[in-house]
Amino acid sequence: MKIVVEKLEVWYDSTPALRSASFEISEGEMVFVIGPNGSGKSTLLKTIASIVRPKAGAVYLDGKVLSRLSPRDLGKLIAYIDPHLSRSIPTTVLDFLLTARYPHQSALSFSTPRQDLDIVEDVSKWLNISHLLDRRLDQLSSGELQRVLLARAFVQRPKVLLLDEPSAFLDLKYRLEVLDYVKKSVKASKIACLAAVHDLYLASLYADKVIVLNNGEIIAAGRGEDVLREDLIERVYRVKVSLLSINGRRVAIPLEPIKEAHYGGLT
Amino acid sequence: MASSLYERRLKHFLISLTSLIVLTIFAFTLSLSVGSSMLDPVKIFQATFLKPLGYTVEGSVEIIASLRLSRALAALFCGASLALAGLLMQTITRNPLADPYIFGLSSTALAAVALGILLVPNLVVHKIWLIAISFFGAMSGYALTLTLSKLSGGSSIAMVLAGIAVASLFGGISHVLLYLVQQITRTPYVHLLLGSASTVLWGDLQFLVFPTIFLLALILALFKPLNVYLYGDEYAKQLGFNPTSTRNVASLMAALLTAITIAFIGIVGFIGLVAPHIARFLIGSDHRFSAPITALVGALVTLIADVLVKLISMLARGIGELPLGVVTSIIGAPFLAYLLVKRMKG
Ligand SMILES: Nc1ncnc2c1ncn2[C@@H]1O[C@H](COP(=O)(O)OP(=O)(O)OP(=O)(O)O)[C@@H](O)[C@H]1O
Ligand SMILES: [Mg+2]
Repeated sequence: MKIVVEKLEVWYDSTPALRSASFEISEGEMVFVIGPNGSGKSTLLKTIASIVRPKAGAVYLDGKVLSRLSPRDLGKLIAYIDPHLSRSIPTTVLDFLLTARYPHQSALSFSTPRQDLDIVEDVSKWLNISHLLDRRLDQLSSGELQRVLLARAFVQRPKVLLLDEPSAFLDLKYRLEVLDYVKKSVKASKIACLAAVHDLYLASLYADKVIVLNNGEIIAAGRGEDVLREDLIERVYRVKVSLLSINGRRVAIPLEPIKEAHYGGLT
Repeated sequence: MASSLYERRLKHFLISLTSLIVLTIFAFTLSLSVGSSMLDPVKIFQATFLKPLGYTVEGSVEIIASLRLSRALAALFCGASLALAGLLMQTITRNPLADPYIFGLSSTALAAVALGILLVPNLVVHKIWLIAISFFGAMSGYALTLTLSKLSGGSSIAMVLAGIAVASLFGGISHVLLYLVQQITRTPYVHLLLGSASTVLWGDLQFLVFPTIFLLALILALFKPLNVYLYGDEYAKQLGFNPTSTRNVASLMAALLTAITIAFIGIVGFIGLVAPHIARFLIGSDHRFSAPITALVGALVTLIADVLVKLISMLARGIGELPLGVVTSIIGAPFLAYLLVKRMKG
């Protein structure tokens, strides 16, 4: 599925969170959004997931306006990995994963199709959570939960995959394994994937395209090699970085925060 | 792994279901045999459940059993209703410590019923009007709690606190009103306040039995929106469900279930809190499985509590019966304590 985002503008009450954002994601493409805290990454993902309504602009999925799609179609097409999940009523991982199949079942069906269980089984194997299926969701470690959340997205078999900090809480091995799996699935199932990350190295490893957000504005977009430049990173994140070249990839090593000059400040 | 787990779950569900049905039939039979004249439970069982198979028992046993039938059915269905209301409330608020009573529905319903009886004493004999009034009272209480909690931020803590405020205000008001009602109904007002299944009439039972069955069926039909609702509003939206309408429909159903039980047997605590926990402990949180089990656990516990009420009143001849709610809290409180301890330990 191809996503076209056109002049998207999002406000929370009277504060702008996203200003005139335009870009495209083609089928099988993995696009990473980077940017400092509060720059609007989650807002961008939530707007495409139809959780937040834009003030202006539009999102097109294969040429169709997003806001015209029925809630049911949205559930079939889009998976947004939200790290904020309510877990106060104890449920098991299997229960949770099976809910992701609901959009594909007919509205009045009552039993769980065999095929849905097979999908859960398959995805669980890939993300190495098979042993967690009968565990309680509120008793998982942060990294285990993160893999379960990702598994939910793949169980849903979406065409648009929106990942909010997919590598958070994952150890070194799982960061690579999980993103390998994401990349493989995105290519194989022709998914359009947009991921917000803080780990610039992962972006340089996996991104087909990188979008840089700052203060709600896209200030750069393009191939990782072109975007992840020293001056840009220093300007956006306000840290001194040094770029190392490893295996042909450029890795930004943060050195120290840039001292801000406070003119006339009393503090 | 996934499918074998799921099959194991199904098996657990069927085992829990059958054992609970058997236990409920057992408690039901016991409830019919216990009373001022004790009857042989085996004969009662034959008279009530095996009649179509051609079993006959002496006429006197059958008559006494049929006299006690309405009380036993009232306990059974009110227990199921309350338990389901508790399940819905816990789901709506995503708070495992929620129950209909905590949200102030019971106290406003009771105040409305008491006010109704005070204004129109004839109401006592028109159960359907009592049900309507108590439903109206429960809904007003819910609206009040909801408004109050929205004003204070709308979190689930705000909701619980708002419920406590509404419950204590209307709890107080209903006490005063019920005190006055005693003069009209000439029954001790503790029975209305803490519940009793002894006054339920056979003809009125239809207003309890059919709505309970219907609402149970409705919960089963809504199992998908209820299941996804557990994980948060945004999660539900994400999968194409509307969390606000889920909340509205489910709270309406919970209010209806609560209102009916108050009209029939008054306020009976702890069933609504404890039954969903037992059900989730037995077969997990999927509403497809937890709703029927919750209803059965509620029915069973209430039936047993009612049998205890009858037994205690027989031991203490002449003083009259203990309220049902007292017995359910004595059974329920240790369980709540156990839950708390387990929660604290994580
Ligand atoms: N529900 C909300 N109501 C009001 N303001 C919000 C809301 N959500 C986000 N914001 C504001 O919008 C801006 C963008 O937030 P957003 O969550 O998109 O940032 P982000 O790039 O995801 O940051 P982070 O890296 O910390 O996750 C922030 O200034 C934030 O305070
Ligand atoms: Mg964010």
